Amino acid sequence: MRTSLQAVALWGQKAPPHSITAIMITDDQRTIVTGSQEGQLCLWNLSHELKISAKELLFGHSASVTCLARARDFSKQPYIVSAAENGEMCVWNVTNGQCVEKATLPYRHTAICYYHCSFRMTGEGWLLCCGEYQDVLIIDAKTLAVVHSFRSSQFPDWINCMCIVHSMRIQEDSLLVVSVAGELKVWDLSSSINSIQEKQDVCEKESKFLESLNCQTIRFCTYTERLLLVVFSKCWKVYDYCDFSLLLSEVSRNGQFFAGGEVIAAHRILIWTEDGHSYIYQLLNSGLSKSIYPADGRVLKETIYPHLLCSTSVQENKEQSRPFVMGYMNERKEPFYKVLFSGEVSGRITLWHIPDVPVSKFDGSPREIPVTATWTLQDNFDKHDTVSQSIIDYFSGLKDGAGTAVVTSSEYIPSLDKLICGCEDGTIIITQALNAAKARLLEGGSLVKDSPPHKVLKGHHQSVTSLLYPHGLSSKLDQSWMLSGDLDSCVILWDIFTEEMLHKFFLEAGPVTSLLMSPEKFKLRGEQIICCVCGDHSVALLHLEGKSCLLHARKHLFPVRMIKWHPVENFLIVGCADDSVYIWEIETGTLERHETGERARIILNCCDDSQLVKSVLPIASETLKHKSIEQRSSSPYQLGPLPCPGLQVESSCKVTDAKFCPRPFNVLPVKTKWSNVGFHILLFDLENLVELLLPTPLSDVDSSSSFYGGEVLRRAKSTVEKKTLTLRKSKTACGPLSAEALAKPITESLAQGDNTIKFSEENDGIKRQKKMKISKKMQPKPSRKVDASLTIDTAKLFLSCLLPWGVDKDLDYLCIKHLNILKLQGPISLGFALNEDNFSLMLPGWDLCNSGMIKDYSGVNLFSRKVLDLSDKYTATLPNQVGIPRGLENNCDSLRESDTIVYLLNRLFLVNKLVNMPLELACRVGSSFRMECVHNKVRSAGNDILNMSSFYSCLRNGKNESHVPEADLSLLKLISCWRDQSVQVTEAIQAVLLAEVQQHMKSLGKIPVNSQPVSMAENGNCEMKQMLPKLEWTEELELQCVRNTLPLQTPVSPVKHDSNSNSANFQDVEDMSDRCALEESESPGEPRHHSWIAKVCPCKVS
Amino acid sequence: MATVMATTAAERAVLEEEFRWLLHDEVHAVLKQLQDILKEASLRFTLPGSGTEGPAKQENFILGSCGTDQVKGVLTLQGDALSQADVNLKMPRNNQLLHFAFREDKQWKLQQIQDARNHVSQAIYLLTSRDQSYQFKTGAEVLKLMDAVMLQLTRARNRLTTPATLTLPEIAASGLTRMFAPALPSDLLVNVYINLNKLCLTVYQLHALQPNSTKNFRPAGGAVLHSPGAMLDPLTAHSEWGSQRLEVSHVHKVECVIPWLNDALVYFTVSLQLCQQLKDKISVFSSYWSYRPF
Repeated sequence: MRTSLQAVALWGQKAPPHSITAIMITDDQRTIVTGSQEGQLCLWNLSHELKISAKELLFGHSASVTCLARARDFSKQPYIVSAAENGEMCVWNVTNGQCVEKATLPYRHTAICYYHCSFRMTGEGWLLCCGEYQDVLIIDAKTLAVVHSFRSSQFPDWINCMCIVHSMRIQEDSLLVVSVAGELKVWDLSSSINSIQEKQDVCEKESKFLESLNCQTIRFCTYTERLLLVVFSKCWKVYDYCDFSLLLSEVSRNGQFFAGGEVIAAHRILIWTEDGHSYIYQLLNSGLSKSIYPADGRVLKETIYPHLLCSTSVQENKEQSRPFVMGYMNERKEPFYKVLFSGEVSGRITLWHIPDVPVSKFDGSPREIPVTATWTLQDNFDKHDTVSQSIIDYFSGLKDGAGTAVVTSSEYIPSLDKLICGCEDGTIIITQALNAAKARLLEGGSLVKDSPPHKVLKGHHQSVTSLLYPHGLSSKLDQSWMLSGDLDSCVILWDIFTEEMLHKFFLEAGPVTSLLMSPEKFKLRGEQIICCVCGDHSVALLHLEGKSCLLHARKHLFPVRMIKWHPVENFLIVGCADDSVYIWEIETGTLERHETGERARIILNCCDDSQLVKSVLPIASETLKHKSIEQRSSSPYQLGPLPCPGLQVESSCKVTDAKFCPRPFNVLPVKTKWSNVGFHILLFDLENLVELLLPTPLSDVDSSSSFYGGEVLRRAKSTVEKKTLTLRKSKTACGPLSAEALAKPITESLAQGDNTIKFSEENDGIKRQKKMKISKKMQPKPSRKVDASLTIDTAKLFLSCLLPWGVDKDLDYLCIKHLNILKLQGPISLGFALNEDNFSLMLPGWDLCNSGMIKDYSGVNLFSRKVLDLSDKYTATLPNQVGIPRGLENNCDSLRESDTIVYLLNRLFLVNKLVNMPLELACRVGSSFRMECVHNKVRSAGNDILNMSSFYSCLRNGKNESHVPEADLSLLKLISCWRDQSVQVTEAIQAVLLAEVQQHMKSLGKIPVNSQPVSMAENGNCEMKQMLPKLEWTEELELQCVRNTLPLQTPVSPVKHDSNSNSANFQDVEDMSDRCALEESESPGEPRHHSWIAKVCPCKVS
Repeated sequence: MATVMATTAAERAVLEEEFRWLLHDEVHAVLKQLQDILKEASLRFTLPGSGTEGPAKQENFILGSCGTDQVKGVLTLQGDALSQADVNLKMPRNNQLLHFAFREDKQWKLQQIQDARNHVSQAIYLLTSRDQSYQFKTGAEVLKLMDAVMLQLTRARNRLTTPATLTLPEIAASGLTRMFAPALPSDLLVNVYINLNKLCLTVYQLHALQPNSTKNFRPAGGAVLHSPGAMLDPLTAHSEWGSQRLEVSHVHKVECVIPWLNDALVYFTVSLQLCQQLKDKISVFSSYWSYRPF
């Protein structure tokens, strides 16, 4: 498990394109979720007044999103599922934007329905999926594994759409689907759960041919439980659910394509079209039907006809484009609205509030329902333009004063910490990335005044489309070389140190779409060669030393997807988008072979097996279908979310060498498909930062020489001893099996308890430990190489980015003074990268999305309102002797400053880990407790504490803390509690940072802050309040420990019974406390402490 | 490149005019052409339900191989389903002639044809939703449409050119072996698939290995055609094989060209090239991607 990275997004002035392909509103009507052609999901905040504002962009898919659906009972877990064109499926937590589960299946889904039947089903329910495959697939909502499928006995075909019918009348859930060929099929759902779980084939109960193609939607009228609405692209029909007889058929007029529909009330339906119009019809019983007697003697059938009541349409605007994806949300509960919503390819969202009783005008003509709200990502950017500046705006502004340059390509050189940006006007700007980021983010301090050094290279006349720094790929090449290609197919070789233009290649082949370099093993005339892929699908090979173009391969009909090198025979193998392969002889420049189909595939695959081809350099061309897979195999040492397909992540092609080591700070240029708009992400690796900042390397066994190391060792030992105690207790009590499971990780850790590092790793669980060991071996310690001042600067920038500036003016002042960090210019877009593929970025103006955010805090870098509450809670749990490292007591100011920073970062790192950990580690260690839990028949919170303490001790490695363990435990408990409440990592980190800084500055401020007696008094007041809960808290913890071990020691039945009731009681309490916590987050201020006490007291009673 | 030199306002105006023509006229012309080609292709697949002409017509294909005449098959294709099959097999050892046919009541769906057909109709649907009356406003819009259409066409083509790779146990477990009227002898396996424009029938002859045979087990991996020597894992195979180990002793492959599949593949290739050419035309104006005529 890689630790997550903290990210800061530096958006440009233009929003990234977001062509909406799927849209849904969550059940609580708080969030709109959209999926895009580019592969991202966007979360939009929906206020009580139906105002929309974009909140967060989620990266995780590498292809166009095809559908979105609920993935859980939303009131319990706010999870949604998204499916992409290439078979990827992701489950997301909508509240914190994290990807919970991800899987890639060989199926492309076009619709997903969540189904859960609480009393017949264990687990989290099913996702019923249909798409480009036969019949209906059943996928487990939790694991995303295929459970089984619903089979058709007749005419199996792709399914276009489906709906779940839950009929009160017959107490049976059914699945209704319509196939591509227009066949309506019905499966029993609730009664076939058992057979499905036993993997028996379930065939359809009924089927009927509907005689229309391209079915878009099928909906059941839950009001009458009688009508069935089926919308086809060219007509819509109403059927009788009882016998599937056709009641009404309405054909589309003036070439409109219907896209969907919904039953909004009894006999009232809503139909929408692909071009964004919608119509509300009243279905009227035709009086005529009584007089018509069916000729064939069937039962008399009434007929119905539609009457148009209302219509809606989108505002005409320029970027409007088809198709629209629309949906309707029907909530009968009071605070909710009936909402019709639509998303466009242009990225615009439009909402209509549908009145409860839609009526036509007095004269009977249809009434037009006005648009309630409309919004785009760009609106967010325009409204909050201070936030949305690109990283080099500062410099370009300096340069010519007017107009900012649009960055069209960029490249980050980690070894030099240089950021190279190619602009639309042909200039190339080279700057120190950290300085650029500072200048962009921080308020004018002394640093920004004297302009940070930057270079401007002028040589291109057209916008720069691609950049390459060859030294980053192969250390053998000249460190000063840099290549740039432009729209005019001109490639320039630069010396970045002297700013000299070394050579200019003219290719005359359209825009240079990408620049690649041959692998180290492949050399021609003693040199590696450069490969340019051009806009007219040609490939040019350049020899840098000789300043010559070796080969220009121009025969390709389709865009180049893949380049391979055959070093023995000097072949260049070019794979194209149409799956054909061209083999070029480099020396002579002749086309050796051209193959298509199966043979082409074999050639490309053979190259992989034969080891002759050393590297695969897939090309970041327009569609990046295969890219991610190839990439991952070729470059396992990437930092951060590099392979982010669907986006043209430039650096991802280039990091292939093993010598690449993780760095605390990295800049990731991101570029999206179908547009030249790019932006940058600053990535902070907290773990790495902490590692670098520690005064002594961790591997130094002779730790007594350093203060910190000694501290660590001591703490580690003490925790080990402690654990053995508790362990023995439980060991005697539990059955041998569970005891062993429990003991395993801990005994292992005991064996090596005196070596702090090993200790930490062992505790982490075997799997993780192995990974870490490997990674430690592979990575040469970068610590000494990196400039110390650079590291400290990075740390300061990181703290600046995270601190909630503006919450407390005095605190800001103290921070600037004592930590020597600078204030932010304004709220920034924080982000969070969970792993290489999944990250989420806040959008400009996200801070105004939080409905709980009161006016005072606008323009404050506060992640959410919740942060303050969390921070207060954290402070309340902090022990009395505030966690200031002892090193601070000496008076040397600069030392104190850096120590404080280290201390703060340590804290943040810990929180980051704790909140992040649950998925993998908690399961590993948690599984050892599970036996025990089953034994107890109830989940006891005490176990969590045990769990956490073992985590904690391992995580704490390398930290200097002087808390008493009980306090640590309570903090742990608190933080792990946050985790369960799906507090975002960033939220947690910011809260802890705020609390720690407050504590810290309070103690520091005693000397200089006499001028602010008021704030001091406040603080004191706060302290008083906290005394009470704190005391009780520690007591309660002890009690819990006792209770936890007591029933285990004596597994006699009466006592066990007792324990059961106890724990049941406890669980109630816990539930309650959860509820409290929820309420707390709603109601700020004073009652917070009371509820905190309330949470503690009942625990004591038991 | 033309756009690059456009420094003067006059040239720029000309280019804009050209781009406008491209978006308004040329794109629709190409889309119309594409539609015609793809409709022609989909006719080949005889989409059931598209008209009221009743069940699709039956076509007989005689499968044989140029080398030997050990296996002969007559397969009847009805749309995307095999409605009848007659397979004659001459056993190599004793020259005994075996004959089996499909059960009367059963049809075997050729998934590859169905998928290809559905992909084509998806592509057609994408094209028809942007008819003459629709005005493209940006080049990116056209590119996206072309990407979507090309994705469907590539998938349609790949479904035909890349048969599903099945392991022997998968073939054994598939319903095809249970389709025959005198049930297939337990030492025979049959697989039917499409490869490019050909309908292929593969018959595997198996022989049982001694339980304590010293021969190293070489599991039959995922492949369309398993060469002799591949073995059937008794654990994963169908239950009727019991715990016996089976080895492929002979493989007979016969095939027959389906003329209309050949046509369809040609149509796919042509329309893919048309799509790419349109994309290239748009890309020439790539510096105007964000440019909107009104």
